[in-house]
Parts: sequence; structure tokens; C-alpha cells
Amino acid sequence: MVKRFAILLGLGYVSFTMIPVASALDADALVKAGFDYWRGNASIATVIMTIHRPNWEREMTIKAWTRGQKDSLFYIEAPPKDHGNGTLKKGREMWMYNPKVNRIIKIPPSMMSQSWMGSDFSNNDLAKSDSLLIDYEHSFMGTDTHDGKKVYVIKSMPKPNAPVVWGMQKLVIREDLIWLRQEYYDEELTLVKTMTAYEIGMLGGKLFPQKWKMHNVDEADRYTQLTYMSLEFKSSLPDNLFTLTSLRKARR
Amino acid sequence: MSIDVKMAWRNIWRNPRRTMLTICAIAFASLLLVFMLSFQFGSYETMINTSVKIHTGHLQIHAHEYLKKKSIRQVVSEPQEIAHLLQTIPKIEAYTFRGQAFSLISSKERTYGVAVTGIDPEREATVSRLKSSVREGEFLAESDKDQALVGKLLAKNLHITPGDEVTLLGQGRDGSIAATVVSVKGIYSSGIDEIDRASIHIPLKTFQEIYAMGNAIHEAVIIVESLSDVDAIKRSLNVKLQSQNPDNPLTAVDWEELMPGLRQSIEMDLVSGLIFYLLLIIVVAFSILNTFLMAIFERTKEFGVLMAIGTTPERLTKVLLIESMTMTSVGTSAGIIIGSLITIYFQSRGIDISGASDLLSQFGITGRIYPKLSWISAISGPLAVLIITFFAALYPALKIKKMRPVEAMRAV
Repeated sequence: MVKRFAILLGLGYVSFTMIPVASALDADALVKAGFDYWRGNASIATVIMTIHRPNWEREMTIKAWTRGQKDSLFYIEAPPKDHGNGTLKKGREMWMYNPKVNRIIKIPPSMMSQSWMGSDFSNNDLAKSDSLLIDYEHSFMGTDTHDGKKVYVIKSMPKPNAPVVWGMQKLVIREDLIWLRQEYYDEELTLVKTMTAYEIGMLGGKLFPQKWKMHNVDEADRYTQLTYMSLEFKSSLPDNLFTLTSLRKARR
Repeated sequence: MSIDVKMAWRNIWRNPRRTMLTICAIAFASLLLVFMLSFQFGSYETMINTSVKIHTGHLQIHAHEYLKKKSIRQVVSEPQEIAHLLQTIPKIEAYTFRGQAFSLISSKERTYGVAVTGIDPEREATVSRLKSSVREGEFLAESDKDQALVGKLLAKNLHITPGDEVTLLGQGRDGSIAATVVSVKGIYSSGIDEIDRASIHIPLKTFQEIYAMGNAIHEAVIIVESLSDVDAIKRSLNVKLQSQNPDNPLTAVDWEELMPGLRQSIEMDLVSGLIFYLLLIIVVAFSILNTFLMAIFERTKEFGVLMAIGTTPERLTKVLLIESMTMTSVGTSAGIIIGSLITIYFQSRGIDISGASDLLSQFGITGRIYPKLSWISAISGPLAVLIITFFAALYPALKIKKMRPVEAMRAV
């Protein structure tokens, strides 16, 4: 384990040009800042989610509201058959709403590792998104450049006894706080899946990647891609938006 | 009767009590082997036949590699063609079609993840024991829609009883969201905890509607007349499925692939059984060895005299072997006959094992086990006894060759 770890570390240093990291800049602060830049105080977005599989592909249009690090609400707008299905995430709990049966179902803990709506995102990826800030310790691994800007590679190891899903995460954050890549490793520190951001452009009044792609290692033809159609950052969103009543309303 | 045989015969009865004890030991070991082997084979067959009747069937037909991924998209799109095919194959007792999906099930209070199975109620009853394992409420009827059978442990966890409603939420074949409300019609207890804790059954038509399946199904489940037919039917099915659709053939898989755990537990049990039998045979072999060593020590003087008057050591060895083999053959034959009789008796009556049902219910065995007498179970054990005792008797018999007549005559 230690040996493997050392090799991994070594690899990290070889692949990224070894520039002594500015120790003044705190890795924790960078991750926090990057996360906040990504999520904003609150946001309203329309996203097309493309689930790609070797022999089929499916697209869903999702409207998403997020607030702070913890609360999110998603609605499926298209295809028409699924219109009005919603997911509410509050803290670490999740509920799903289906308009056809007009019921709200709370996702049980045992189901949190299952995929969300058949995508490559698991319920945990959504529910525990802020786990990265709370449960992990961050340290610099190296730096790189991207579009002429400096990029930090950060290794995030879980704190002892933290209730985490991943054994390690690797983050690639640009100096202007744009989140470029997030890699998920299991307990044996082997890469499981990667989320990559690209097509960085102006969105919601700031530079933001328009496409996010989540795919499992070694499966190039199985991925889930998020394409931001619109994104609006807000200073705040009302409390009553992130409630079960609001989830049931199936906002149009 | 040659003189050798006569001598052997007299020697056998020189000490009748010892001889009888030896024969009894051999007979008892053989008897035990015959019965235990038959019992084991019988219990395996019972185990397999009961297990396949819980859910899996002897054989299933799926889309290629369905067993590996169990994806809802891997369907058998034309079940009617399969039905026609199955009707042409003899020795198939019954078959049914099922759909399988994974969903969330939710009562007012709780939510769990479960395997949802769409079943054809009438046909299902001929293939599996589902109908008879319904403990509360009723089995599904042909005309039922939006009704469900729920496993006992799941019902307990969800706090539901027949008549209550549960919500299902999952994903359809086309990737869309599948949701419905079904009312609980019955609660079953299959004896297998995993099934009772995490499965529900709904009518196939309802299933196809909810999960956007169209006409498609996921598995065709087949029960054949006898376990020994499984291999042949599987082979002929695979050939026919291949010719039906050469590009992307459906595949038939048997119970061993469907329940690898069952096969493994049978193998493990067989190995531990074999170790026990081996120990039994070794114990018998030592008792034989002891008898014959005694016979030689006792008769050293006699052998010396016989050799002094011109009997060759080979001849004495032969006499000794005739003695030992006569005893062993009598013993093993008696063992085979008595063992077979006992086995046949229990084969028709069965052995009540309801006392051990907790342990065995995890293998799907409830009630009675019927031993199964076959040529293998009747002959192989006693044959092993025969061979091993032969070698046990050979050692003392060969010792005679080393004897010197003069010394032997002086022995006490």
C-alpha cells in the first residue's frame, strides 16, 4: 500500500512539470474557492444530459437549481414522457418525485451508490458533492498549464474515519478557479472514473466550462455528458424552493 | 475343491468369533458407504430440484450475455418464437416467460431497492413454487393488473400487508423513468432470505407496460422432466437458437450457471463426504491388517512345518489371500445387499429432516430427502473397501516369503 502510494506520487511528479509549489497558497482554500466558483451562491441552469452507451444514446433536458454547497433541485423537462420527474437533494438526503404516480420516494442509504437516472453519476455523486470539502484533506501534487494559465493538481485524501465513497480524488483546478478535471480513485487507489470539463466560455456572466463529461476508466463508449444550455448565478434562492412541497409541485 | 481352498476354508473357521467380527466390520463399512453415497446423491438431486423450482428453473433462455450484466435492454424480443421452439422439444415439462428489472419500492414509510419480476401467473405456477409459497393473501390471477406479490421479509421491512399500496420507481427499457403504484395481493415466503427480502412479482403484462418492454421479455424459464435430460436439451436448444438468429443468437443456460453457488456447495459437500469415507475405509483396512497379522503370528510354527515338508511360500501366500478375500467378499456382498435394501426402503419413504430445516432451508430443502440408489452409489464404496483390504492383506501374506522354516518351527 505504502509502496503503491509512493509509486503513484512519483508518477504524479513525473507527469506534471515539477515546479516547487507556492506554499503560500493553501490547497484547502483553493479547492474551496474552486468549488464556490463552480456552484456560486446559488444558480439556475438548464442542462442537457446525454447518456451514451455502445449501442444507444439518450438525451434529457434537466432544469437545475442549486444553492450553496448542499441544496439542489433537478427537474426533467424533456423527453415529454419523463417530464416533471424531480430530484431534491438537501444536505445528504435525496428524494425523487414522479408525477405519474404523484409520489415522493426517499432514496434509502443502500441505494446511494446506484446510478442517478441511468447515468454515470451515482446518487452519491450528487448527494455527497460537498463531501470533498468536508471529508478530504487536500495537498498540492504539482502544476501544469492550460490555455496559458497555471493549473494546480491537487491530491485529496479522505480524513481518518470520514464516511467517504472514494479512497482518493485528484483535482485539476486552473488558477482562475475553473475546475478542469476530477478523478475518482477507489480504496486501492486505482482510477475508477473521471469527470472532465471542457469548452470553457462565458456562461452566466463568468468563464465556465460548458461541457462536463463523466466516464468510467477504459470505457470510452460509455459516458454521460452534461451540456449547459443556460446558466444564471444568483445571490440567493428562497428556502421554500428546496422543500418536499416544492418538489411535488412539478414546476413547469 | 482344491486343497488350497479347503485349507483356507478351515483356517477361516479356526477362530469363528474373530472371523465374524472382521466380516461384520467390512459389511458394516460397505453398508454405510452404500447408504451414505445414495443419501448424498439423493439429497443433491432433491436440492437441485427444489432449488430450481424456487425461481431459476432447470434452464433459461436469455439474450446473449444477459447473465453477466442483467441490463434491462438485453431482451428476448420475440417470445412467441421461443414458445413455438419449446413446444417442439420433447421432455420439457413446463416453461414460462419473465421480465426482470431493478427498482425502488416504497411504502408510506420506507424505501428499498428490489428486483421486480414480471410473471405470467398461470404458467409461473407450473414452473416454480411461487404459488404454493404464498403465505398471506392470494396468488396473482390471469386478469390481474397493477397487483403484486411481495416477499415476506420485504413486506415486514416495508410494514405492508395485503391490500396496501406500494410505489415502484425504476428505469424502463428505453431509459425513461418507470413508475407505478401497485397493490399488494399476496405475500410469499420462499425460504431463501435474499428472495424474500428483495423481490416482488407483478403480472408480466403490467411489467411490460411500466418498463416500456413492448412484447419483449428477459428470460424464458424451463423445467425439464428429469435432471439427467438437462444437458441434452440445453445443447439442442443452443443449436436451434443459433440457427434461428445466427448473428445475435439467444443462449440457453442451465442451473449450474444460474446458481453457481449450488454447484459449489454440492462439490464441497461431496469432498468432505469423500474424506469421511476414506477415513472409514482406512479404519476397516487396519482391522483387516490386524486380523491377518494375528493369523500369521499365531501360525508361525505351523507355516514352518508346512514349509519344512515342502510347501512353497507362494502357495502359503495364496492360501492366506484366499482366506482374506473370501472374508472381504462375503463382507462387502453382505454390505451391498443390506445397504441396498435399507436404501430402497428409505427411497420409497423418504427421510424426514424437518428438524434440521433451518440449516437446510438455505439450500432450499424443506421436508423430506429421498436417497437415490444407483449403480455408482451401490458399487463404488464397497469396491474401494475390497481393493484397500486386498492391499492390507497382501502385506502379511508376503511376509511368509521371508520366513525360514527352521526358525519358524521354533517360534512360540
